[in-house]
Amino acid sequence: MNHVIATSLALALAPLAAQGSPYAFAERAPLTRLETLIDRTLPSLVKIHGASGLQNIEPYATGVIVSAEGHVLTLDLVMIQPGQTRIVLADGSVHLAELLPPEPRLGVRLLKFDPKATTLPIRPLEPAAELPETGRFVVSLGNAFRLAEFSEKLSACTGVSSGIATTGLRYRLADVAYEGRLLLTDAPNNPGHGGGALLTLDGRWVGLNARMVESTETNTLLSAAIPCADLRAYLDRWIRGIVPVPPPEAVADVSPGTHGIVLFDRGGRRSPPAYVERVEPGSPAESLGIRRDDLIVRIGDRTVRSCVEFHAVMSAHRAGATLRVTYKRGDEVLQGDLVLGASR
Amino acid sequence: MRPLDATLLVLALTSPLLAQDPARDTDELLDLENVVIGVADRLAPSLVRIETFGGARRVLTDDSGLDRIGNLEPSKLDKEVLDALFAKIDPFELAELWTQLGLPPKSDGKPFEAEDLRQLGDRELDRLCRKYQVGRYDPAKAKEDDGKKPLGPLVQPGFLQAQGASTGLVISADGWIATSRFALNFDPSTILVTLADGRAFTARRAGEDTSRGIALLKIEAQDLPVPALADPKAAAVGQWAIVLGRTFAPTGRPTVQLGIVSATDRIFGRALQIDANTSPANYGGPVLDVQGRVLGLAVPLSPTGRDAGVDWYDSGIGFCATLGDVAPLLERQKRGETLHRAWLGVAVDPKHMGPGALLAGLAPGSPASKLGWLRGDLLTAIDGVPVRNSFHLQTLIGARLAGEKVAITTKRGDGEPASVEVMLAAVPAAERKEQTRSEESAQLPWDGDPPQKDGEKGQRR
Repeated sequence: MNHVIATSLALALAPLAAQGSPYAFAERAPLTRLETLIDRTLPSLVKIHGASGLQNIEPYATGVIVSAEGHVLTLDLVMIQPGQTRIVLADGSVHLAELLPPEPRLGVRLLKFDPKATTLPIRPLEPAAELPETGRFVVSLGNAFRLAEFSEKLSACTGVSSGIATTGLRYRLADVAYEGRLLLTDAPNNPGHGGGALLTLDGRWVGLNARMVESTETNTLLSAAIPCADLRAYLDRWIRGIVPVPPPEAVADVSPGTHGIVLFDRGGRRSPPAYVERVEPGSPAESLGIRRDDLIVRIGDRTVRSCVEFHAVMSAHRAGATLRVTYKRGDEVLQGDLVLGASR
Repeated sequence: MRPLDATLLVLALTSPLLAQDPARDTDELLDLENVVIGVADRLAPSLVRIETFGGARRVLTDDSGLDRIGNLEPSKLDKEVLDALFAKIDPFELAELWTQLGLPPKSDGKPFEAEDLRQLGDRELDRLCRKYQVGRYDPAKAKEDDGKKPLGPLVQPGFLQAQGASTGLVISADGWIATSRFALNFDPSTILVTLADGRAFTARRAGEDTSRGIALLKIEAQDLPVPALADPKAAAVGQWAIVLGRTFAPTGRPTVQLGIVSATDRIFGRALQIDANTSPANYGGPVLDVQGRVLGLAVPLSPTGRDAGVDWYDSGIGFCATLGDVAPLLERQKRGETLHRAWLGVAVDPKHMGPGALLAGLAPGSPASKLGWLRGDLLTAIDGVPVRNSFHLQTLIGARLAGEKVAITTKRGDGEPASVEVMLAAVPAAERKEQTRSEESAQLPWDGDPPQKDGEKGQRR
């Protein structure tokens, strides 16, 4: 009997000694691909605690170690403030973070801590250059609801890679457009999970868990991650000092091209569908054969549900641009190429 | 069985077995993801993208007048209010209402008194007080009370729908498309269906089944690929369920959501419950088994109403309206019929443990109100099936559709059982809630009546 108790005690105390935590659970060694992947990746993630005191904004998030020099990638949240942002590593050690300039378009930011201040081996994750294939399993790691505070492990959730959302994305609450594409997944993305890592079963780090983003297509919150493929340029710039080549200078003529379509738009609180009121003589639309009462439904691959959307899409194109226009006449759906003319 | 099916079947059968042996390196997910991708690619040509134009935002509501379990207790209303109402109410209206509610006739031949009004129950009294502007009804107070209503099980109701792209499934080679009613909630003037190969068609709207959340569209196309249907009766809780959508994937491989069948026999036997994420991003898309057969369509559903259930998006509670068992109903919808869940119009006493269901009240205007039934009658059988208790009555009626006839056996006191054939009606939609929600949504800047083109109004094309 005593022998049994002694053995149990030894077994129970072994992980305690290792973790220094009074409530660590014993765990068997990982067996499957998923178990091994999670076990191997968790030490590369950190808990982030920031400035608190703001109503309804969680002062915590997750981050990913992206360099041996102690760079940590996370979301650029309000709580990330100089002198108030702390990083908790997998061993429970706390480090004050230095803030690097953010990437405002995707809403991410690099932090930096001193890797010499910890004995924990630093194993940075390498951002994947490719998007994951739709339907592949993914595992999402993060500190949902700050369930882990000291050396406890982050939460792991699994799901499949569901697809990519490219347009019509906006931040919840702020109602500001999110200007990137998002990896959709059915693994849940809860508060605090943002800034964590999304990985495929073959061990590739494919996404950084996003914050609350909604789609204008669905009016629902998306469980999503920012593709790592889109983060590589930012990481190269601030970790390796590789300055990206600036895009070529915009052309001098910035006024939109003309099309000659006048819509039946009586205004109102909700913009009506894009019915054609008349077509200006000699215009590109007339050459294409667009007529009064046609309904414009799509320009390129953008669906046009209202006059407002029609003008928004058209104003983004210059003279000389060729646009594939899909329009409805009676019950027929027609298509044709509209070559925008120069403005007079 | 084709080789691909056989492979999928072997994978599907062996994976769970492997998982039971913890000593082995059990990478069942690696097998499963290939099965999931195989199913998604096989079904992709049968998936269409549905876009709508025009129409007006409709308010999603619960239904009222369900065959409810609820007791119409005599009201505890103040005497002055009763007197005031009694002074104003039309005596003929009162007599008619009295009969309709199944209240026992005034045997002594005496005229009505104010105190008799208590028998109408709070629900009817509330309605009459509003109608006759008697003290009990205070609009400001009523609005305040609305705000205090307990919330639904998971999230607050009142989802504001976006007119985004939706998904549909080809169900016949000659162009019939099944989708979720959700896709057509705006009553659009134009419906555009785009096939996986990029060809676009205008769609004609046919009938729908509000009890299952399904609607049918027709496009003028031929030789479309029709997927195989699974027998929903053979579905088992715990089997994999794959949901595909076209909202975020117009062509190519559709979006994929994976989960399991959480329960069978939901929404009066019309749906499977699944834990895969379902939302406006995949409503109308197929729910598939690992062999790539269609279990049904992902739709927002709720036991409480025909337009409810969107509040539960991505919550782990999703519904799959079964398709494999409703071929005759689809034919009726192709002819333009709208199918509704059946409504008898009774309230039954929850304190009565059975056998039978004890009548506590009748809804005015309902099928049940025209049969001479009285409060206290016992409903003992429906189409020969003995009614075991109040809950059993709900399931027996809820599984039927409006327009169906049922034989109902009742018993009054110690009298002989009597049987009557009843034509069931459609559940009426809730008026009061609709008003409340309309008021809310009217404040939003993008909600309003769009201008209609001449000749477009009411045209479903």
